[in-house]
Amino acid sequence: MNPEPFLQLDRVIHEKGRLAIMSMLAASPELSFTELRDALEMTDGNLTTHLRTLQEAGYLSVAKSYQNNRPLTTCSLTAQGRKAFGGYVNLLERIVQQTKRK
Amino acid sequence: MESNWAAEHLQVIRTLMERSALYRRALAPIMTFNGMLGILAAILGWLLKLTAPRSFVLFWAGVGLIGVIGSFLLVRRQALKASEPFWSPPTRRVTEAILPPLAAGFIITCAGYLFAPDASPDLAGATLMLWLPLAWVVLYGCALHAAGFFMPRGMKLFGCAFVLGGSLLFGLGSTDWVSRPGYAYGIMGFFFGALHLAYGIYLYFTEKGTNAA
Repeated sequence: MNPEPFLQLDRVIHEKGRLAIMSMLAASPELSFTELRDALEMTDGNLTTHLRTLQEAGYLSVAKSYQNNRPLTTCSLTAQGRKAFGGYVNLLERIVQQTKRK
Repeated sequence: MESNWAAEHLQVIRTLMERSALYRRALAPIMTFNGMLGILAAILGWLLKLTAPRSFVLFWAGVGLIGVIGSFLLVRRQALKASEPFWSPPTRRVTEAILPPLAAGFIITCAGYLFAPDASPDLAGATLMLWLPLAWVVLYGCALHAAGFFMPRGMKLFGCAFVLGGSLLFGLGSTDWVSRPGYAYGIMGFFFGALHLAYGIYLYFTEKGTNAA
């Protein structure tokens, strides 16, 4: 097997928690912190850490606002994040196809 | 081994994306269309003085059918425009969620039609014209609330407004109403017309992002 696709996998996205966050955001224009936390059953601290990592990589934008006098944090993928996620999925598909051909 | 791992990852991604995708397709146009239809139908029914319970049921069944067909065409048009499959996972989930209360409404309507007197309303017929629209309102609210789990959060509140409003009117309904069939058109016009129109206008101004259907 050609190991090249595997080595090209984006390490930032590859982590299980961050992959889950990216997957959910890829299918929705934006999700609130609470929606992500509840859907992925993560703790606040864990989710915050992953969001920060993704934000530092430029894959995620976080917006803070108020709704009914309550703070609301919403997350969405940046164009760079969408591109990186698309590339990651394509690579996974290539790995699967490569093994099927053998 | 590596292929299994990659395939599992892809499956996890697919599942999470499906779970996250909310139904947002053509919500504002659907709400506005149904709101205008509801208001026009309520005015028309009131002007035509369709006070016989069977005529009332048939009239609103026809309006409901036009609403369903119109909504279907709006959804289809948007799906074609966005090059998306019509029967997307969120669309399927929303349909599954709304079916039970809507089916209950359909059964109640059929029963109401069968047992209703054909001619001008006696007490039983007039009572039917009071509780049937309220039953529609409450069941429709239940359908919207159930669909709200797969739609933007406002939809659940919108459904609650129907359930609470309908239930409240059930409670407040007095015998005086029974002698005034025009109230039934008022209820239909307010809930299925004005509320939809107001929510549609609200969505036009607040909706953002693409349709994730």
